[in-house]
Amino acid sequence: MTKYHRSHEFVPPPNKNFSYNQNNFMKISRPNYFRRLLSGLKMGDQIDCALDLMRRLPPQNTEDNLSQLVDLVPGLQDELLNAIDQPLKVAKCKIANKDYLMSTFNRDGDSFRSPWSNEYDPPINDGIFPSQKIRKLEVSANEAFDTYREMYYEGGTSSVYFWDNDQEQELIQSKLQSGFSGAVLFKKVGDGSRRMKGAWDSIHVFKANERGRNAHYKLTSTVMLYTITSKPELGNMNLSGSMTRQFEADYPIDDPSAHIANIGRMVEDIELKMRNLLQEVYFGKTKDIVNDLRSIKSLVESQKQADIQKELLGKLMERKS
Amino acid sequence: MEELRDLSTEEKLKIVTNFLLSSPPGEADEVFNDVRVLMADDPALQTGILDALREYNTEQYITVKLPGQENQVLVSKFGQIDNDLYLDPKSHQAFRFDHMNRRATEVEPRPPVEETEPLRTAVEAAITNYVEDHFKDGVSSVYSTENGTITIAIVDNKYNSSNFWNGRWRSTWVVNPESGKLKGNIKVNVHYYEDGNVQLDSNKDIEVETSTTAENPAAAAAAYVRLIGKAENEYQTAVNESYIELSENTFKSLRRSLPLTRQKLDWDKILNYKIGQELSFTKIAEPGPTSNK
Repeated sequence: MTKYHRSHEFVPPPNKNFSYNQNNFMKISRPNYFRRLLSGLKMGDQIDCALDLMRRLPPQNTEDNLSQLVDLVPGLQDELLNAIDQPLKVAKCKIANKDYLMSTFNRDGDSFRSPWSNEYDPPINDGIFPSQKIRKLEVSANEAFDTYREMYYEGGTSSVYFWDNDQEQELIQSKLQSGFSGAVLFKKVGDGSRRMKGAWDSIHVFKANERGRNAHYKLTSTVMLYTITSKPELGNMNLSGSMTRQFEADYPIDDPSAHIANIGRMVEDIELKMRNLLQEVYFGKTKDIVNDLRSIKSLVESQKQADIQKELLGKLMERKS
Repeated sequence: MEELRDLSTEEKLKIVTNFLLSSPPGEADEVFNDVRVLMADDPALQTGILDALREYNTEQYITVKLPGQENQVLVSKFGQIDNDLYLDPKSHQAFRFDHMNRRATEVEPRPPVEETEPLRTAVEAAITNYVEDHFKDGVSSVYSTENGTITIAIVDNKYNSSNFWNGRWRSTWVVNPESGKLKGNIKVNVHYYEDGNVQLDSNKDIEVETSTTAENPAAAAAAYVRLIGKAENEYQTAVNESYIELSENTFKSLRRSLPLTRQKLDWDKILNYKIGQELSFTKIAEPGPTSNK
């Protein structure tokens, strides 16, 4: 069995009722330890099988498949919701009158924090917020990636969420490094012109650790792409998929805003790579397989021509020798 | 807060059945192993999953070799005599199919339907040639079906799990010799999963009117198969053209590969221009190398 890369190996913001499933707003329960004891199977086996299954089931139905999987094995809920990315949902910030993306990274209970107003919707009293310093950086990052979004997506929605590393329990214990983590999110839904519908979701989760005048960045990026084409001569064609890549690098931070430029360049590079991989390698490969299954040209004719060429070549070689 | 409750065995089986029926080509065994571990209830799974396996195998035109024979035979609902008994129309035999292990046993002779057999045999011969000419690993079966119709099922599987891809082409054609109508459906499924999960799920219903009658079975069969070949070529061409459009238009409309300026962004410029002032307070608060760009 292949080894899986979890899409987020980072600790998410310490929400009280944490769930990665931002779409179904699933209620959270404690992992069922009793079931774990009873099952007689190691949870490790089950999580590996669950991830293997999600890699095989159609990416067209990720949300349904994941919610059924959680119903089937409730004890895996937390792990699954953290490991499997789902398409992002768009909400409107009523204060800033601007769209933002709902995700695990801005969620507290059943409320979501708008990156534009820094307010939770629906409002809550004890919501979790980034520290003032990190919020300042978050505001700037949202502006910068909004420009990026306009340049590359020509529409769509972007949101950037930051949280302080020192809120993470492991670091409270060790206090080794300072820094912050964040998620850079984009969503674009195609307009359905030319009888083609499409959607692009990208989720970039990073952790930045400051070491003197440098910062070490760990980035995990997932792109989910959906395309559906319906035409009389074609019927219905759904070509969809997702992929995840990881990247690590050190960059100088001689200025606090350098973080944003560093993350910006990393996200820009990895999005370009992943876009080209999806278009040329992944989609191209499935096209080749279709034409491998069936040949438009007559295979008998092709074989005949190949035989004739072989014969001609043989005669030429004879003459040469 | 709503409590998560335990699902009943039936509810679990329903989920597991859904997963199994969504298996990509050639990966039903892997999906079965996954759901087995996840359900962790072998007795319930063993009795409850047979219907799902039967549905999967017959829907997906799973192929099998009859004992002692070289030809591949299709397992489909058109050849289903009862639950696990299937017809191989070519060899005029019936066989029992084990849906769990995908093995054929208990082969016995089964005489054909006399009235439609001349046309069925003629279509079978023409389709066999056609499949050999366009499908490298194609398998077909031609059945006599209700109301004098002839049903053609074609499948081509390419499994390459070691390179993380699998594919399946299925076509079904129903010939109505009385009306001359030809009704077809083509389904193509491809899974490519090297460090990702990309799937093509494509299908089309086709109807062709013909003026062919079954008076001369060989001539009629040749005409039907010619039309099938034409329709399948047109479909495949449309799929290939759609790939080009996806690449040239859809991708670009979702996310450009470079901005209109044909250059990557100048991040320092964006930051200085838009938010230079915003962060200036931080610089004062934390004196350090003040590189004013």
